[in-house]
Amino acid sequence: MSTLFISGFASISSAGMRAGALAERVSSGQAHPGVPVGSLYEAELPAADGHALTDFDVKTHLGRKGTSFYDRATALAVVACGEALANAHIEIDEETRPRIGIALGTTLGSFKSTSDFSMETLVQPKPYLVNPVLFPNTVMNCAAGQAAIRYGLRGANATITGGPMAFLNALRYAGNAINRGYADTMLVGAVEEFTPHRAWMTALSGKVPHPAGEAVAVFAVSTVRMAPVAEVLAIANGYGPGGQGSEALAGCVQRVLRKAHASAGDIRLHAITREAESGALAGTKIFRAAQHFGDCGAATGAIALASVLELHEAEPARDGELTLLTASTDDGAVGAAIIRGWSRGGADRG
Amino acid sequence: MSELEQRYAELREIIAEVLEIEPEELTDSGDFAEEYQADSLRAIEILARIDKHFKVEIPQSELPELRNLKATFDAVSRHAGWQG
Amino acid sequence: MTRVAVTGLGPVSSIGTGAEAFAAALLAGASGISQIQSFDSSGFPHRNGGEVRDFDPARWLRRLDPQRWGRSSQFAAAAARLAADDAGLDLDSLDRGRAHAVLGTTSGESVVAEALTAQILASGFPGMVPELIEQLPAGRLAHAVSEELGLHGESLTLATACSASNYAIGYAYDLLVTGEADVVFAGGADSVCRWAHAGFFKLGALTETACAPFDRDRSGILTGEGGAVLVMETFEHAQRRNARIYAEVLGYGINCDAKHPVAPDRESISQCMRIAHRSADIKPEEVDYICAHGTGTPANDLTEARAVIEVFGDNPPPMSSIKSMIGHTMGAASGFGAIASAIAIDRGFLPPTINWQNADPELSGVDPIPNVARRATVRVVQNNGFAFGGNNAIVMLGAVR
Repeated sequence: MSTLFISGFASISSAGMRAGALAERVSSGQAHPGVPVGSLYEAELPAADGHALTDFDVKTHLGRKGTSFYDRATALAVVACGEALANAHIEIDEETRPRIGIALGTTLGSFKSTSDFSMETLVQPKPYLVNPVLFPNTVMNCAAGQAAIRYGLRGANATITGGPMAFLNALRYAGNAINRGYADTMLVGAVEEFTPHRAWMTALSGKVPHPAGEAVAVFAVSTVRMAPVAEVLAIANGYGPGGQGSEALAGCVQRVLRKAHASAGDIRLHAITREAESGALAGTKIFRAAQHFGDCGAATGAIALASVLELHEAEPARDGELTLLTASTDDGAVGAAIIRGWSRGGADRG
Repeated sequence: MSELEQRYAELREIIAEVLEIEPEELTDSGDFAEEYQADSLRAIEILARIDKHFKVEIPQSELPELRNLKATFDAVSRHAGWQG
Repeated sequence: MTRVAVTGLGPVSSIGTGAEAFAAALLAGASGISQIQSFDSSGFPHRNGGEVRDFDPARWLRRLDPQRWGRSSQFAAAAARLAADDAGLDLDSLDRGRAHAVLGTTSGESVVAEALTAQILASGFPGMVPELIEQLPAGRLAHAVSEELGLHGESLTLATACSASNYAIGYAYDLLVTGEADVVFAGGADSVCRWAHAGFFKLGALTETACAPFDRDRSGILTGEGGAVLVMETFEHAQRRNARIYAEVLGYGINCDAKHPVAPDRESISQCMRIAHRSADIKPEEVDYICAHGTGTPANDLTEARAVIEVFGDNPPPMSSIKSMIGHTMGAASGFGAIASAIAIDRGFLPPTINWQNADPELSGVDPIPNVARRATVRVVQNNGFAFGGNNAIVMLGAVR
């Protein structure tokens, strides 16, 4: 398997969408309490504060045409894909179009879109009085499909589920697509929206220590080493049936260390999606993205990596350092990846 | 504004919203599909909103005729029995 | 290069559960269509669907507790268990870290999503029951398979809508040829739900009684459900344990229309066929049978037929749609198509398109294998899957040579 490089990325989160916004928030070292979110929806929310980008409006980025029926997850993903293409200086023409794909992670698409559509079948005078324009939003591949339409990307286009595992699943899927020759460049990312549905589900589940957040991060990945900001040294995903998630994660961590020819001591930062992963690499500094951005579900791993890469950008002294990303689900899906990061230009300075 | 003019303006607004344009951008004879990139989903939704707003049911089979604002208004008028 | 064998079939469908029953139903041209009972369909002018009646997960599952999993996960796990049994796999002898589960779906746990929506309606957001919230993530379809069979490899659910099973089979193929896996359980699952029924009806894409793909008067799909899982393994692994090999997976192609969320695109579909043929190292004239996407909507069947004629010329191989029998099972559809393809190769017959009455002059040249299965030597099959979002995926299967 040839090495994968990240040549650019973009993110949108409660910290904003400006480059550097993630690093600024993370650098404070403090957990972020969120912002007032009551103005976003008419429905009552479980808490006054949450981790949403309350002034995000897709129209200011992409105009009204073609966007007014986007749901929030789709809007976030489409805007971030465009920003990532720009950040990586990827040119789209008739030759490259069929060779650029998308692998986008999700939990179940926009549950708000699905539930609202289903709700109409219950409350309308006739159950079929639904808005057909919104029907595609109920399907989980809506965001990746709309991003492909917006930018004319005809390569391998996949929507990949997994909740907290979604980003590592997408990264693994995209790496395979590139290595098997199905695409030259993949936009790899994950998205989760802030809605009353997610806010309440997160609060009611009783399992998540942070309030719901929303985020998207998208990375341009290819085997071409062109002013990269990161290199994906290794990735391994697995499953621990019968409650053996921790053992399975330990196995994945061993495998990525072996593949990356690294030892545990080489890892400078361990980014986790759930607390259960914190013991997977004893003695390494832990980074909890959820403390800063809320529980971003499928986007947790993606926003963690984007944060780490922004920290690299801010501090060239970190050039070449290794980060371990881990992820897991309640059921027992687990994964690990090792990423080497640089500030822009750092990879070529030496 | 006469009652009919008022309804015409309302229809223009309804259709413009589905087509994602400003009402003033929608001309009387501009073809929904050709000029405003309407697809079948949007055409069906226009019917649904007409039904909801004017309480006028136009059968889906008449969709091909509803190519522009004027033709749509004529169809609504006919089904509603509005007098010109 | 590593070759990939299909050694086990696990269909849970409205025309039969298990490889034997499903094959018999395909041969007979059976229909699994009935009036929908899983939700109150009385308000709909069209009420038929392809429900899997009397599905009793406990009958098939040995490890998974059905209480904790949604209907689509139950379908997936039951289908995987059936496939494992059909393959004669001794799970205890597997290297479980090299055994993976890759599932595809359109709507994931749609029944759970609708139950939660009903709770929101009845008592507001705080009324959602935590036990149901736990069942909602779509990733659980693959996890259900991993749990049921005790697999330690990747547990991945792809959500590329109605071609998702072909995506899953394609990714499974890659895991095997790249040496990551010995065995992969691949396929898809979905459940009949009210919102999809309503959506397709509103689009004018839901037919009233019977789905009649490629017929002149075809008028749409019927929503269906089920689980379809195949055991895929390397030839080496299959031969070491003297497994029966139904068929070989020769390769696959995926691409994206990047044009419209729901309308199929002929040019893009033709291109996807060419990518699949190239991947499988197959020339169009070598294809003996096309297991069509064939939803039964005027637009899909016309677009699909024209793309086929563009790639294959004026006399394309016979192509039938098993959706005429089981309805559109969404994310499971191309999984059922792959199972039907493997059966066609193994048993030497082409499944028919039932409910077919009148030739469509627009589809001249297309042989839909009307109404009656046909004996044939089947060496190469093309299994089509297209989807909302423009996600095309085509899998090529072949007889073992």
